[in-house]
Amino acid sequence: MAVKGMNLCSVCCLVLYFVAAVLAGRDFYKILGVSKSATVKDIKKAYRKLALQLHPDRNPDDPTAADKFADLGAAYEVLSDDDKRKQYDAYGEDGLKEGHQGSHSDIFSSFFGDFGFMFGGNRQGQQDKNIPRGNDIVLDLEVTLEEVYSGNFVEVVRNKPVAKEAPGKRKCNCRQEMRTTQLGPGRFQMTQEVVCDECPNIKLVNEERTLEVEIEQGVRDEMEYPFIGEGEPHIDGEPGDLRFRIKVLKHPVFERRGDDLYTNVTISLIEALVGFEMDILHLDGHKVHIERDKPGYQAWCSTMEEGGRPT
Amino acid sequence: VLSFTSVFKDLSSCDWFIAALTFESALSSHYILLVPGISIDKTMGLIHGLEVFVKSFLLFLLCSKSDGRESESNYVTCGSLVKLLNTRHQVRLHSHDVKYGSGSGQQSVTGVESADDANSYWRIRGKPNGTCQRGAPIQCGQAIRITHMTTGRNLHTHHFSSPLSNNQEVSAFGENGEGDDLDVWKVQCDGSAWERDDEVRFKHVGTNAFLSVTGEQYGHPIRGQREVHGMSAPSQNNYWKAMEGVFIQPSQEPPRHDELHDEF
Repeated sequence: MAVKGMNLCSVCCLVLYFVAAVLAGRDFYKILGVSKSATVKDIKKAYRKLALQLHPDRNPDDPTAADKFADLGAAYEVLSDDDKRKQYDAYGEDGLKEGHQGSHSDIFSSFFGDFGFMFGGNRQGQQDKNIPRGNDIVLDLEVTLEEVYSGNFVEVVRNKPVAKEAPGKRKCNCRQEMRTTQLGPGRFQMTQEVVCDECPNIKLVNEERTLEVEIEQGVRDEMEYPFIGEGEPHIDGEPGDLRFRIKVLKHPVFERRGDDLYTNVTISLIEALVGFEMDILHLDGHKVHIERDKPGYQAWCSTMEEGGRPT
Repeated sequence: VLSFTSVFKDLSSCDWFIAALTFESALSSHYILLVPGISIDKTMGLIHGLEVFVKSFLLFLLCSKSDGRESESNYVTCGSLVKLLNTRHQVRLHSHDVKYGSGSGQQSVTGVESADDANSYWRIRGKPNGTCQRGAPIQCGQAIRITHMTTGRNLHTHHFSSPLSNNQEVSAFGENGEGDDLDVWKVQCDGSAWERDDEVRFKHVGTNAFLSVTGEQYGHPIRGQREVHGMSAPSQNNYWKAMEGVFIQPSQEPPRHDELHDEF
């Protein structure tokens, strides 16, 4: 009997240990605010929204901000990777193998660019207007109306030249100065001279990284998504920005006006006189049923309560 | 040998390697190597063991490196922004708001040495009225338009003489990406699609000229920039390579609207 008691005790202990182990790991789904069946797209969208809110620079008064932000990064890193997500679902956080590839700043900058922590578009460089800036790049991103309706993420590989230190020195801040030389007693000559400072030498090296551009639901034509610091470099200053400009392609069936969707439907004369019913295929694939049982004019229009665009 | 060539070619090497493996193992029974001092059985065992080890190691290397995405990220795709480097003369295709002083008087296209000028970015688009899906790799032989990012004009050539070498003048033409039929070029490359590491040629549809640089340099106000022109014969001067840029990857499309055409 004592032996049986001992076995029960050890089993209990084991169960308690496992429960504790599982609970000790973080709940990544809760951190991101998504369900267990969320798609990668939902996860990216949640991360992007929360990263803007939880960034420590945005919450200077919160002492736990850095931890929350680190949790967010870890959650995204695991749930956005299929293999890691499977392991996490099966074994919890402790079941994950070691080897975190990207640091959190890599993940963050793939959504917002290198200097993404400068929020609201106010770059610290603007305080000192003398810092030269590299060129901005504006890229027209064509999107379909379906993508605007449901939202989507576009992955982009950015290969850009980055200024790196090189051995030696170079001349920088070159300017013309007037120099006065004395030729004799009371005789002076003023000449123009090019004077340069000495700066550390810089060479341009090509670097590559993946960026995630979000096509937000309901985005309007011509809207721009900036990635700070991903533009062209400037040898003596900061890099410019990369901006994606949304260009919505014309849809063969639907037209957007404001937040409403319009479409034309052709019906026969009999249908116009007597009434009709039909199914319309919506932008995300679901069917919308419309019907009319009275005679109607050619230009009759029916407004669908839920058929428009989500805002 | 087969397995090693597949490693260097990097063409869905995983599948190729597996095929090579099965082929090899079918033949392996025919080869016997004699090592002096050890009996034949032990030799066969040793060799077989070594073979299996080497093969599985190579297989592991290859298959762990090739995820499904690796093939996509190496192509130039529709909608991407690129800088094109002429590999012979090491200058990038460039344009700016400076017009030719002779010939057609249109906006000039040159080659520049610097790597950090935003005026060297060109957008790869489909031909007019053609379907070019965002993120789809450009096929070899596909007709495209090459649109200058900052001025919105298309790479263009016509029967005018270039100012320095008297070859065919290459200009930037159109407004907001819309020009005319002489804006279309065909990408000539080996293989099925335009890989980023590839050196490709651009052949004009209409005049059959190849986009080239032969080294002539301009003076003031674009000192040091090289002349870019069209030449009828292919040569080492017409190879271009995609360098810096923003390469759009194909994305998961929400349901297409093709099916709707049948209903209306």
